[in-house]
Amino acid sequence: MTTATSTLEASSSTVFGVEVPQPPQHGKPGGIMRHLNFGTGLLTGIVFAVAAGWITSALSSSSATNDTFAPTEPEYIYLAGLIGWVIGFMLGMGAFVGPLRWVTGRDLTHADAEYMAGKDLGIRRYFKFTTDHKVVGIQYLVVVLGILGLGGLLAMLIRTELGATWTEVFSPTFYNTIIGTHGIAMVIGMIVVMSGPVGNFIVPMMIGARDMAFPRLNALSLWLLVAAVVCLISSMFVGGIQDGWSVYYPLAAQAPPGMLGYQLTIIVFAVSTGIASVNLMTTILTMRAKGMTWSRTPILVFGVFAASLMGLYAFPFYQYSQILALTDRIWDTVFFNPVQGGSVWLYENLFWLLGHPEVYVILIPSMAVALEIMPVFLRRPLFSFNFAVAGIVGVVALSGLVWAHHMYMTGWAPAVNYPFMLSTEMISIPVGFLVLVAIGTFWRATVWTRLPLMAIYAVVFNKMIGGVTGVYLSDVPADQYFHGSMFVVAHFHYMLMGAGLFGAMGGIAFYFPKMTGRILDERIGSIGLWTAFAGFQITFGSMFVAGLQGQPRRVLQFDDMFNISNWISTIGAYVIGIGMLIFLAAIIYSWRSGEVASSNPWGSKSLEWQTPTPVPLENFAVLPVVTERPYNYGVPDPYEAELEAEDGDRTSDDRERAGVS
Amino acid sequence: MKRLLVTLASVVLGIAVVVGIGLVASVSGAEPDAIVAKQVGTKSTPKGELPHYEVHLDVYPNSSAAVPPPSAGTPINAELLSGQPFYKPSTSIQVPANSVVTIHFTQYDSGGQIYNPYFAKVHGSMDGTMTWNGKQVSEIKSSEVGHTFTVHQFPESTQPYLFLSVPLPMNPANAKTDSNGYPVDPQKISVTFITGEAGTYVWNCEFPCGDMYQEFGGPMQQRGWMAGTFEVVA
Ligand code: HEM
Ligand SMILES: [Cu+2]
Ligand SMILES: [Cu+2]
Repeated sequence: MTTATSTLEASSSTVFGVEVPQPPQHGKPGGIMRHLNFGTGLLTGIVFAVAAGWITSALSSSSATNDTFAPTEPEYIYLAGLIGWVIGFMLGMGAFVGPLRWVTGRDLTHADAEYMAGKDLGIRRYFKFTTDHKVVGIQYLVVVLGILGLGGLLAMLIRTELGATWTEVFSPTFYNTIIGTHGIAMVIGMIVVMSGPVGNFIVPMMIGARDMAFPRLNALSLWLLVAAVVCLISSMFVGGIQDGWSVYYPLAAQAPPGMLGYQLTIIVFAVSTGIASVNLMTTILTMRAKGMTWSRTPILVFGVFAASLMGLYAFPFYQYSQILALTDRIWDTVFFNPVQGGSVWLYENLFWLLGHPEVYVILIPSMAVALEIMPVFLRRPLFSFNFAVAGIVGVVALSGLVWAHHMYMTGWAPAVNYPFMLSTEMISIPVGFLVLVAIGTFWRATVWTRLPLMAIYAVVFNKMIGGVTGVYLSDVPADQYFHGSMFVVAHFHYMLMGAGLFGAMGGIAFYFPKMTGRILDERIGSIGLWTAFAGFQITFGSMFVAGLQGQPRRVLQFDDMFNISNWISTIGAYVIGIGMLIFLAAIIYSWRSGEVASSNPWGSKSLEWQTPTPVPLENFAVLPVVTERPYNYGVPDPYEAELEAEDGDRTSDDRERAGVS
Repeated sequence: MKRLLVTLASVVLGIAVVVGIGLVASVSGAEPDAIVAKQVGTKSTPKGELPHYEVHLDVYPNSSAAVPPPSAGTPINAELLSGQPFYKPSTSIQVPANSVVTIHFTQYDSGGQIYNPYFAKVHGSMDGTMTWNGKQVSEIKSSEVGHTFTVHQFPESTQPYLFLSVPLPMNPANAKTDSNGYPVDPQKISVTFITGEAGTYVWNCEFPCGDMYQEFGGPMQQRGWMAGTFEVVA
């Protein structure tokens, strides 16, 4: 029988061959974490929300005011409930266990940390505050699919309303709600769609690291995102977000309590992205494998780093804007309320200081993943690695200098517009670098067309249309005509969806074998992809026409002259919806019963593919050393390699000769 | 085979979810049943002898045991709107084309200063006036407005012209009230105008009578309360 003292003795444990002194182990490894999971998180979150709401209602009913200018009682109750939810949920997930144990002098041991990384927990680790970057990557993937699904559902409802020109399908307030919620849900989803799943799962392996620099922060950023999304969904039941995703003042001040859901969502989401950005950047800066100099670092790593950096400086503006908006609403401060002396321009500036960099946060990882995929399927280096890096650096450098191109028509001193017109037209140069590198890499290449590469074809095409129309919008005189019209909506969908989302689909298809151990079914996958692509051209091509005719955006009722383009657009949207569902089916089917993948099915040379599948907890038993540039593919003809593969009896020697080891 | 089934199931389920949620949202946010104008005779106008129709609308400061609130879609929304003013019996109004229409308002609410005095004037009625407690007036004091009834056109080039705006005077703060808190002697306003060709319009109240900032929130944005549709049918 062991005595109490002996279990609490300090010990040491061997981590990769090194003796590391350990704090005393209290109880079984994992401690309280053994009892916490998503279920307890939900439960505590709901309990805290209800308790906070109840206390607030008990306190406020005594001091009820009749001043209609002031927020109503449900307002306070909802806000308290939201705050209670976020704190309770994070508590119930176990987010505070590490810090609490640290302040109480009972720091986590190595065995505790391994428990938290999900060691030997099987499927359960996906429902816990797990620190392993691969688990977090998968969790992100599922959460993102959910968010995009919500946004997509709302998109279908929007298009139904706009297509049914002969009647009103939804009430105007609900229509406004779905516009705003669709916008912000899609923006959040697209910001994390690459940096979340791929950034977490793949990037550490890609640079030859065993995990992220801050594994617990990694889990924290994911579960904060979940907490934020619940705030967003809840807003739809208390009046919704009726003022578009940009929620300008003073509309936001007149909006129902749903606006609080928006504000809390953004405040929490900004914390989540901030943490995730710091984590990714630290990992990339400090944990690259020996020999991985910057010129040997894969382009996707640059892309994820750039997105993190832009998110890190831009998100605080947005977060402040919503914190100030919240205090305006609840405590009657006057940052933005115009009649009391606040400034709506201040709001617009703060909003767009994130709003524009955000489009690059979405686009750069998608472009980078495209450039990552191409060399593998074209079996040749990037047309110019240096230009690609220069493009990314240029975008980051200029990203913070263009925001006011969204404000040309706000009526401020017109001369202020021109510097922004210049910077905006300038930023199309580094963006152009990326497209040119892509086209240069395709130039006279022998292509090995697999599903991931197909998505890249779509990206290049859509990006071209989005880029060309963007130049018109950045032009002050032209924007006077286009501003606030469906033309704008079509333009940014070509960018965010056409380039961003299709790139992400390519990225998911590409990394699917590493993440799940199975190939994403190419038959269903490509049917889904091309159906969505075709629908996309119909929807947004026709929306360009509606915009050129002058149809205003965010407006429920419009002139009969816009009917035809809206009917076409709606039919296209349904086609996108079906295509996306087919793509989703490919994911679901392949995840469960797809073709089992080898550890390196695409014959890629980068580090993440050199690990076994499924990837062991610590990724690499021995840390790799990098000796060459990332895309030194020697084989001119990938078909040959594929034919050989079909022979069935190819030996490892053949494979070596074919360069697809 | 399994592949096909999974695909079909995903598509069918996905469509079912979209249709299901869309239906629930559409039904719960449905417009209140329309009030249809009733014919009361004919009236001679500069355009000749036209059929004459009537509509009655009441404006309440809040709901009570005697006057239940209009539908607000969801229970939470109803809670958010409780205690707010509304039009009764409905905000969906249907009148015939090419006719004379008289709307009789009974206004029970208090009021105050309207931001834009333009809306304290009568616009679009047959002779530019309205009848207020038996007197003909073409405007009221901009500091004594209770609500307005203002019909706007959609921005549609094909829509026949129709613009009507009627200020509804407030009840004084010391007005004698009944057991439900409504004035026993409310403001009575009637306005008569001529409709053109058929078309669908929206109307709303231009007096800030809602909640939140500038009192333009809540019922001001809610169909069934301080906003609605105005349909001219052939
Ligand atoms: C099935 C695909 C999609 C369809 C059919 C669709 C359709 C629409 C429509 C019709 C609008 C409203 C236009 C208006 O009246 O203002 C809209 C707004 C918007 N969409 Fe999408 N969309 C789709 C996917 C996406 C994606 C992937 C994103 C990625 C970020 C996105 C971001 C936005 C944003 C930010 C708004 C602006 C909302 C606002 O005005 O506040 N959408 N979308
Ligand atoms: Cu911009
Ligand atoms: Cu009113």
